[in-house]
Amino acid sequence: MAKNNFSSKIFLNLVSAVIFMFFFSFMLVPLYNVFCEVTGLNGKIYGPSSFFVKDDVEKKDSREIRIKFLSQVNESAPVNFFPSSNEVRVWTDKVSKTSYIAENTTDKQLTLTIIPSVSPGLAAENVKKIQCFCFEEQTLKPYERQEWPVRFYVSSEVGDNVNDIYLSYTLFETDRVLTDNMNHGK
Amino acid sequence: MSAVIENHEHDHHGPQKGILRWLFTTNHKDIGTLYLWFSFLMFLTGGAMAMGIRAELFEPGLQLMDPIRYNQLVTMHGLIMIFGAVMPAFVGLANWLIPMQIGAPDMALPRMNNLSFWLLPSAFIILLSTAFMEGGMPGFGWTFYAPLSTNYPNIAYFVFAVHIMGISSIMGSINVIVTIMNMRAPGMTLMQMPLFVWSWLITAYLLIAVMPVLAGAVTMLLMDAYFGTSFFDAAGGGDPVLFQHVFWFFGHPEVYIMILPAFGITSHIISTFSRKPLFGHSSMVYAMVSIAVLSFVVWAHHMFTVGMPLAAELFFMWATMIIAIPTGVKVFNWVATIFKGSITYETPMLFAIAFVVLFTIGGLSGLMLAITPADFQYHDTYFVVAHFHYVLVPGAIFSIMAAVYYWLPKWTGNMYDEKMGKLHFWLSFIGVNVTFFPQHFVGLAGMPRRYADYALQFAEWNAVSSIGAFLFGLSQLLFLYIVIKAVFAGKKATAQVWDGAEGLEWTVDSPAPYHTFETPPKVNG
Repeated sequence: MAKNNFSSKIFLNLVSAVIFMFFFSFMLVPLYNVFCEVTGLNGKIYGPSSFFVKDDVEKKDSREIRIKFLSQVNESAPVNFFPSSNEVRVWTDKVSKTSYIAENTTDKQLTLTIIPSVSPGLAAENVKKIQCFCFEEQTLKPYERQEWPVRFYVSSEVGDNVNDIYLSYTLFETDRVLTDNMNHGK
Repeated sequence: MSAVIENHEHDHHGPQKGILRWLFTTNHKDIGTLYLWFSFLMFLTGGAMAMGIRAELFEPGLQLMDPIRYNQLVTMHGLIMIFGAVMPAFVGLANWLIPMQIGAPDMALPRMNNLSFWLLPSAFIILLSTAFMEGGMPGFGWTFYAPLSTNYPNIAYFVFAVHIMGISSIMGSINVIVTIMNMRAPGMTLMQMPLFVWSWLITAYLLIAVMPVLAGAVTMLLMDAYFGTSFFDAAGGGDPVLFQHVFWFFGHPEVYIMILPAFGITSHIISTFSRKPLFGHSSMVYAMVSIAVLSFVVWAHHMFTVGMPLAAELFFMWATMIIAIPTGVKVFNWVATIFKGSITYETPMLFAIAFVVLFTIGGLSGLMLAITPADFQYHDTYFVVAHFHYVLVPGAIFSIMAAVYYWLPKWTGNMYDEKMGKLHFWLSFIGVNVTFFPQHFVGLAGMPRRYADYALQFAEWNAVSSIGAFLFGLSQLLFLYIVIKAVFAGKKATAQVWDGAEGLEWTVDSPAPYHTFETPPKVNG
């Protein structure tokens, strides 16, 4: 059967639509991150915030907020990781200090990355970190135990309905061995 | 030149003999038959898994299998029924019917057609082969939420199987669109096309838009599992909620892919057996197009409980509810077609009426689920299971059965056994309702999905549900018997078959000759 010209044109259009949609699904990842960054919806924290930035927003009165600290270890990381205190009460706009403890349980040196998350998500942009171990990669020598400080404050712009904020850190090994990953789960 | 020579050959040759006919065939009728038999085989395979699930749930406690095996059966049941049974059955019907309904000699790209069928058995061999491996079949649910799924053994087999199924569907859809756009009989405008063709044109566009997204999602999954990326792993800076967004961006159009062709089929059958033209042809078309467009903006109603902001919850709630309007247009259209018609109740009509009634029940429970505050109660309970089985089993599957009974005389040249057909209908109808209606009750009472065991208070309704499932499952063997019998014997069918039927496919002999419409028919507006 002879192919006519317009037949191959629509065919090519459809094939390009397929290719476009395939890459579109990957584009969803940055789009989603940008969307969340702009709207602050998913509790992610993007980079350090400066304490000294002067903003024109009129400060509200300082009030007390309860911060709870959580920690999680990715299943592949051989590390004990926990907050030194589970809960603190802080005044808004006042810098507070706490710390997390991390302990290497192996005889190998480990490189670690720690990802923070704030709940409720809409309060994420009001939790300002001045110093945090999550800003850069951490290394633990064999069996080493370290105390990692966190300095932060909660801006008084935080919503009036927010009285409790959960600050959660998930720790994972940066250079996971691939074969390990292939085998776990069995 | 070559066109002339090939045409000359076509005049003389019939099907090849033996197995090679099926391996190398480029004939749309052969490929349609292959698709339909393959989908029936998968229907029985997925059905056998469902029987295992219902046997385990017959009474509380763990009797037959451990929870891991149970989860594997649930996962494979979903994957096989969606990608192996419902979708290939619709593609098979499309292959048989679209060229005959638009007066085309074959599909536009016959070799690709052959390839897109033969990819499917390979995909399912890969997927099912995990049953014989250490680590076993995937057990993370058909929705394969990451990072649960990335930590499973044998995930690469699952990923590649989904890739191959996706390629097969995409090629099938390209073929459908190119055929419909280029090969309609002279004089047939788009608006004059039969509704089954319309429903498939829309479905094919949906498939082309979302199957690549599914392919992208499973590729990211594969990279997370084996190449150290962290698209969905929160520990590495990824976001598990993002997976749900990507998945349901595919997933919601996907559920309409499984129901739109059913709308087309039902419209034909109800009009034929009411002996009236359809109440509104173009309103049906517009309703289907609106449903298809809306399907892209409602995905997050599957994930109301992930912690979206209020504005998003409200948007997805309203968007979902708007879909009830075009769906209502369709249902009233069918009812208005039946109204004051000269109705006879042959098997296809029984299935079609059951489709309208039971699909509407499933649609209504879908509206209940769309209400955000209520969804927090219903989410991941058996109420959801009851909802989507009502739209898929007496929805999609009943429409496929209706289509098989309706067009079987055209395909085989023999009438099926009407008495047996009616028996099959009533057994299926009772079986489906006894299985799934009680699941509304246990779901509202709080029984969660995806567990091999449940609290004692749900025992009675689960036993009822299991008995219904066994009845429904066994009665499908009757369907197999009826179809095989009609292939080999039965009252000879006329070309017209049903006295109220309209459309080009009824102008060719029964059984339809191997080559039809080599000279295009004339269609008058």
